Amino acid sequence: MNRRDFFRTTLAGAAVLPSAPPFMSGPAIADDNRRKRLRELGIVIGDLAPGPFNAITDVRGVRVGHTTIVKGRGKGAARTGVTVLLPHEGNIYEERLFASSFGLNGWGEMTGLAAIEETGLLATPIFLTGTYNVGIVQCAASAYLRRANPAMGLSGGTVHPVVAECFDDFLSDTPSRPISAKDVLAAIEKAAGGPVAEGAVGGGTGMTAFGFKGGIGTSSRKIKSGPTVGVLVMANTGGRDQLRIDGAPVGREIRGFEEAEKRTKSIILVVATDAPLLSYQLKKIAKRVAMGLSRVGANSGAGSREVILAFSTANRVPRVPTAPVQGIRAVNDFLITPLYQATIEATQEAILNALTSAETVVGKDGNTSYGIPLDQVEGIMKRYRRLGE
Amino acid sequence: MRGEKNSITDVGGVRVGHLTFHRDVPGLSGSLIAARTGLTAVLPSPMEKELRFFFATAALGAGPEVTGFAVTEDFGYLNSPLIITNAGNLGKAYDATLSYGFALKRAEIWPPVVIGLNDSYLNQMDGECLEEAEILEVLRGATDGKVEEGSVGAGTGLRALGAKGGIGTSSRRVSIGEEEFTCGVLAASHFGNTVAVAGKPPAERAGEDEGALILVAATDIPLLPHQLGRITRSLVARISASIPPGSFSDAVLGAAFTTANAMTLSEEGPLEFEFRSVADIHLDGIAEAAFRAAEEAVIHSLLKARPVRGRSGRTLETISPERLAGIFENEEA
Repeated sequence: MNRRDFFRTTLAGAAVLPSAPPFMSGPAIADDNRRKRLRELGIVIGDLAPGPFNAITDVRGVRVGHTTIVKGRGKGAARTGVTVLLPHEGNIYEERLFASSFGLNGWGEMTGLAAIEETGLLATPIFLTGTYNVGIVQCAASAYLRRANPAMGLSGGTVHPVVAECFDDFLSDTPSRPISAKDVLAAIEKAAGGPVAEGAVGGGTGMTAFGFKGGIGTSSRKIKSGPTVGVLVMANTGGRDQLRIDGAPVGREIRGFEEAEKRTKSIILVVATDAPLLSYQLKKIAKRVAMGLSRVGANSGAGSREVILAFSTANRVPRVPTAPVQGIRAVNDFLITPLYQATIEATQEAILNALTSAETVVGKDGNTSYGIPLDQVEGIMKRYRRLGE
Repeated sequence: MRGEKNSITDVGGVRVGHLTFHRDVPGLSGSLIAARTGLTAVLPSPMEKELRFFFATAALGAGPEVTGFAVTEDFGYLNSPLIITNAGNLGKAYDATLSYGFALKRAEIWPPVVIGLNDSYLNQMDGECLEEAEILEVLRGATDGKVEEGSVGAGTGLRALGAKGGIGTSSRRVSIGEEEFTCGVLAASHFGNTVAVAGKPPAERAGEDEGALILVAATDIPLLPHQLGRITRSLVARISASIPPGSFSDAVLGAAFTTANAMTLSEEGPLEFEFRSVADIHLDGIAEAAFRAAEEAVIHSLLKARPVRGRSGRTLETISPERLAGIFENEEA
């Protein structure tokens, strides 16, 4: 199964099927049927090689699942969903991972963050969705965690699920909150390793970034000494003129295609690594994600929220300790720089994969967010001598 | 249970040294002025070895001037003696610490961690007066013996609760599983001189006499930086609740390190370290031990501070036990 087939399979398996063709076709978006990942266009970011799937799932144990919700057209149309990331193959409530966060502008929500910053530990799956869906998703995620862990809140501690949002109201009727607990559970059930569907899927269904259709994107880097760094984003940020790819001012050079809304909005960025890092080291990784975001051109506007969450799968900290003291591995702080580079490279490529993978979506009130025209991107990158061999 | 010396030096390897500068020296006008200041150094271990110690800090209120915290926060470790002095001597202490490191057979001591208090109520010298040779003597002579308390070292010119402030220390034993550990605290008391009481004007303030209660906690419990952070935040919050509410310029600053998990960092490797970490369920007990030691250290810093007469004939007396009893409810004190 190639990636494109996988994408179709995921959509077909979505909890809610489109009631009308969501994707517009026409001369202006002739290449929409051939959406590609950045590397398939011959564009390479940085020096390090990606992992086998060039996805966050290259970090062993990490699984991603989407529920894509596409309902109706015109007034009241729903273009939203939820993406879930399961941090390892076991029970994350019982076996927690070191984690840390970093944020730029504050206009947004990621629930569960206070506990992570206090304890240094991630103990829940991570959910990405639309702004007004947060309560419903949080509730469904809590119920799921309680069912999976009957001791939770009784003999065991309570865990507050991590639910992060971006505002998808350009394409989706957000006040109607067209998502249910069933959709959240469906995303968890579908979560898998391997290739990750990108673009207008899951939480990314209604997102717009850099004036074009945004959404879910992922990428990874493998370092020679062994570790892998993977990034998953839900991109809903940036104006068209800001967009830069490998330094080239692609956004300013693209002709045609009406820019989707110009308001500054948000992006959620999740980093996973199998490098053994402690919480304070993961905070340093999270900060470097902001550098990758900046290289794609985002400038963190007044109405934006950039939440970055980083976790390491290398050490598991049991909720019920098996011994008073446990052994913990950690990377030598003086040798951490390659992980920074991997993070910065994978962040850029994850955001750009969201753009190049996303098809044009017509949503609420006929609002249209165009898939970035890949032929123009290729042409511009060629002019700026940024195309690989 | 207290440690053998009831002191921060009960934590294996930890050393303390004081430089007490209580002299009348010629001022700019030629007449004698009262220098009432000094320096107290806490060494996490003998510094000859290139070891770094996990470290965390926490503060409530606008803290005193500090150096080295940006590095220690980002990297989570301490690579220096922890020095408390007055604000005017902060740069001098920083520089002397560099000299101390260069003279050792190790790469360097950097960044020096120096905390500068404002002791100008008693201390007339606003600029530097400590000599590098004297600071080096203190760093080299720091011992793991019983720690002198009261109006000594950085405590010489300190003022707390309108009475004489100073240096105090205490320790507690902590059992985790089969293992026995120690948690020790050294306090520098310079707080509560502008007590905030609703409806009453603040007590007399002398110039910009910003307050600060400094708590240096040392332990040999295997903790990671984020765990030390939790302990330190808890310590600062609990002590802040114990002492009379101060003004916004009255800070409580906590700094904690562990001698377990000490590492030798180098670009030559190793690529990874094996650390040990206590299960989080033990943090409450550790926080309690740290708090009890801190509370007693503060009490010692006040009760053992002999009266000092300084600037402009001002004298600060030892706090009365009755006043103190009204503040702390430490049954062990």
